[in-house]
Amino acid sequence: MAEKMIKPRSGLKGFIKKEAIFLIFIAIMIAFPFVLNIITGTGLNAGITKFWQGQLITFFIMAVFAMSYDLLIGYGGILSFGHAASFGGGAYAVALLLKHWAPNILSNYRITIGNLDITEATVLLVVFLVVILVSVLIGLLFSATSIRLKGAYFAMLTLALGSAIHILSKATDFHKWTGADEGLHGVPLPVWLNPTQNRLTVYFIALGFLLLCYLVMNRMVNSPTGRVIVANRENEERMRMIGYNPVIYRTIAFLSASIFAGLAGALYAIWNMSATPTMTSTVTTINALIMTILGGMGTLVGPIIGAGIMQIIGQFFYTWFGARWPLVFGVLFVLIVMFLPYGIIGTWRLRKSSIKNNIQKFFRLFSKEK
Amino acid sequence: MSDQNNQQDLLVVDQIHTFIGQFHILESVSLSVAKGSITVMLGRNGAGKTTTLKSILGLTPPREGKIIFDGMEIQGKRAFNIANLGIGYVPEHRAIFRALSVLENLKLAERKKGDFDRNADFIFNLFPDLKRLYKLPGNHLSGGQQQMLAVARALVPDNKLLLIDEPSEGLAPILIQQMMEAIRVLSEKTTILLVEQNFIMASQLALNYTIIDDGKSVQSGLMADLVNDPELIHHYLGASIKTRKELEMNHESQD
Amino acid sequence: MNPRTKKILTLAISVVVVIGVIFALYLYAGKEPFIRTTLSGLTLGSLFFLVAAGLTLIFGLMDVLNFAHGSMFMLGAYMGWQLYTNPTFIFGLLPTILAFACGVMLTTVMKPYLIRWQISEKWQNALPKIAYALALFAAIVGFLGLDILGLAKTAMVAMTTSTAGNPLSEISSQEPLSVYWYRPLLMLISGLLVAFAVSKPGDKTEFAPKEKVLPKLVIPLVLLILTIVSTLIRESAPETLLLMNGNWRFLIAILLAVASGFLFGAITEMTLIRPLYVRSFFIVLLTLGLSYVIRELVQLLWDPLAYQMSRPPLFAQSGKAANLLDWLRNGYSTIDISGVTFPTYRLFVIFLGIVMFIFLILLMTKTRLGMIIRAGVQDPQMVEALGINVKKVFTVVFAMGVGMAALGGIGAGPFLPIQPQMGDQYLMQGFITVVIGGMGSYVGAFVGALILGMARAFGDYFALKLSLSPALAEASTVIIMIIVLLVRPQGLFGKKE
Repeated sequence: MAEKMIKPRSGLKGFIKKEAIFLIFIAIMIAFPFVLNIITGTGLNAGITKFWQGQLITFFIMAVFAMSYDLLIGYGGILSFGHAASFGGGAYAVALLLKHWAPNILSNYRITIGNLDITEATVLLVVFLVVILVSVLIGLLFSATSIRLKGAYFAMLTLALGSAIHILSKATDFHKWTGADEGLHGVPLPVWLNPTQNRLTVYFIALGFLLLCYLVMNRMVNSPTGRVIVANRENEERMRMIGYNPVIYRTIAFLSASIFAGLAGALYAIWNMSATPTMTSTVTTINALIMTILGGMGTLVGPIIGAGIMQIIGQFFYTWFGARWPLVFGVLFVLIVMFLPYGIIGTWRLRKSSIKNNIQKFFRLFSKEK
Repeated sequence: MSDQNNQQDLLVVDQIHTFIGQFHILESVSLSVAKGSITVMLGRNGAGKTTTLKSILGLTPPREGKIIFDGMEIQGKRAFNIANLGIGYVPEHRAIFRALSVLENLKLAERKKGDFDRNADFIFNLFPDLKRLYKLPGNHLSGGQQQMLAVARALVPDNKLLLIDEPSEGLAPILIQQMMEAIRVLSEKTTILLVEQNFIMASQLALNYTIIDDGKSVQSGLMADLVNDPELIHHYLGASIKTRKELEMNHESQD
Repeated sequence: MNPRTKKILTLAISVVVVIGVIFALYLYAGKEPFIRTTLSGLTLGSLFFLVAAGLTLIFGLMDVLNFAHGSMFMLGAYMGWQLYTNPTFIFGLLPTILAFACGVMLTTVMKPYLIRWQISEKWQNALPKIAYALALFAAIVGFLGLDILGLAKTAMVAMTTSTAGNPLSEISSQEPLSVYWYRPLLMLISGLLVAFAVSKPGDKTEFAPKEKVLPKLVIPLVLLILTIVSTLIRESAPETLLLMNGNWRFLIAILLAVASGFLFGAITEMTLIRPLYVRSFFIVLLTLGLSYVIRELVQLLWDPLAYQMSRPPLFAQSGKAANLLDWLRNGYSTIDISGVTFPTYRLFVIFLGIVMFIFLILLMTKTRLGMIIRAGVQDPQMVEALGINVKKVFTVVFAMGVGMAALGGIGAGPFLPIQPQMGDQYLMQGFITVVIGGMGSYVGAFVGALILGMARAFGDYFALKLSLSPALAEASTVIIMIIVLLVRPQGLFGKKE
């Protein structure tokens, strides 16, 4: 009840009204493979339909990764260049466990009840928990360094730490396990989760993952804790005086962002059936950064749009501009930083009233009454 | 303001509005500084005195209003251009360059080569301490010495106008006397716009005054009139400022 | 304890620790490996210093964290390498660039007249936009049909063929002058239009005193002459250059790399970074985007390949020099340093770093610019209030920092593979250096680079000895940074905030 006072539009109806655009987006995405199938008639697991499912799966996963970055940069005001460490950490955790540990277990013990493979389910659950554990550890590593450092120093430190992790991920010393430069390929997956055999399943898992992560993050940033994190960004000194320990809240921001990034990385590893050093490199972080800035920082929806633009438009750019399409993208990014610093969603929200006014003015031209 | 007055005024600030971020700091400040005199700006802490000085100099450019210096509109120009027209600035809190030696601090203020050599004797006569310390880095100076250096720095080029912000702040009484003396000597050479919390010092130095309150200029006139108006002093400058009687007593004891 | 004794004590302890560490390494590794590793460390440290010095100055003065610094290092390597192996790319584009610069430089001459032009506010807004659009159009037409990719085409030169073989084999073909002549002309017009727009015609808030026109005309006039000269020598110059002594060619390559870095830095600061000083967070994003663009541009021009630059003759003759004189006379590729065979080129890189350090010391302590920089690090506003154009100083410092990174790039050229991501590692190590040394301190950058270079060299040595990969040694440099940060969060030479 008390919550109702704070949020005038709560409950299912309010939620639907508030998140209308996002829900419509989800609905379109659910219908997408089937509609495309009807149009092209190639079958759900073949041809163009399969290709675009793959594009969208990457988009969904990268959207979650970008959103987790938005938690850091947009809400926490923390500029970290080591976010790919969490993403890659999750990916490597999955790939390592599924490749080196799971086959042993699965070949030795196998318990099934009816159609349900208990061992397999347990193994997947354990893998899932390990991913979270790894992300938490990486998150703690980064947030521990942020206790003493701020701003530019911190950004440089995260870059160095992130690079160190990237170097480790491709170090030849661990070739036996990580595959060094080439990474881990051919990660064995259960048939129902195999993206080449059952792409539609993976498609809906990724979509569900995006939906779930969006809802959880949305709830988080609107919770009292989320508000303290935002307030921390604005004025740390003041929050300290009020009695909030900024370090704790920064750590919360780091840990949650790291967990979401780790999960996204894990799913990315499953979808590609591989984990490569690129996933831990700064380029991956910068991609997330570009997506976030493009869509708008501190909006959550923005990073999704940014990821979508980067993934989908990238496809078209590739056909238009060839292999060097990121050049066009880079120039676009520079222009956006200079002229639309709040991104697409941010700018739209800032100009919302004026856009609305213009639309109303436009309609008033056609109405006879004054 | 009549045209005749304009002739004698070196600086005229006409209803300027200054914003810092989204905060409206100055809401219509007007003042004028007559050529060859000391004008003092009075007001409570946070009234907008320092911002007024910075607005004149273009460090926080005003959004509205006019600033005329030496017959030329200077609002909206870059700070270094304004300074090069002949305005020296002595900021509050002794903002000297701590990484530079005394000599370097003074040399940095040169606008043309040879400015320092030309005025060195005058500066070192005014502040003999600095001559002794000229090789020391700025962060080795005491507070009083730093303040002297800050004033001396504004004397290196031949400025037509000096903007001096709270020269007595945090100084020992004997140093305040020395600083007052220095400013008096300076006023024979140039025009000075002074911000001063120490009313005794202000009343003894200045010919004219302007009171700034809450970002507006509320009163201006001859200092001699203000000293005789304890009510006005009390109203705008608060209880901390001593009444005339106390002032005189204080003055006598100091003499 | 009073601060002075404390300071002396810390200094004494650190000196003892450093000597102890050096001695321990000496005992453990033995004389020969120790000297060799130390020299390698100095080579690396020299490169780290060249990158970090610019970073730290730029950060100290403007609070700008330049993430494009690594790309600028890379760009320096590419420019120098191009001039050294295939100068057609540079000479083919030089006239257009000079012509454009000449046009833009006329701003100072035009401005006092243009801002006094009486036009309505509507035109004041519209004219610059029209001028920009026309300038863009002229530039596009000027470059239309110019085969830039063809000019840039360069074969991957193997190191062994450096001295032998035909040096002219790399030259790309160029358009004849009868086709080319209008390109510089159009770029000059484009530059003039930009100058017109930048002057803000009719804008009364702008300030430009009418001074003598003649001294202002000197730079544009020089540029105009250079444009004409470079247009005329465009076809013959690459050949002449390639046939001249390789050592001189390398010197010109170094100068060109530094000059292009300087120019690029100045343009970047003036056009891209300056509007964002009020939103400093976005500068980081902008420099990131810039590094992205530079890398893609380089990959577009030269493909994502790794090139090998041949060493200039002074360092190319196979054999071992007995001493410095012997080397300078005969140009051996290695030199004997108390029993250790060491590549002479690396000695040159060490020399480069030391020269730049001395240059910086002189600049910072003896010149007015250095004085302004040191003052500006503390309080740029007050420097401006003294009548100094701080924005100009910002531009110069940014350009200088980038120029130094470019120098590092061309310095590294002959012994690192020249590839688009070659700057990444140096950017990261540069950041670590700056954090260790303390932001804004060039002495800190020098000491930090020295520490880091040694750590890398000895790390590699131990990794090899313990049969680990050098990647682990690279990753472990982060540990040094963390230790320094725990002991002194502001860095070794940083000032406490």
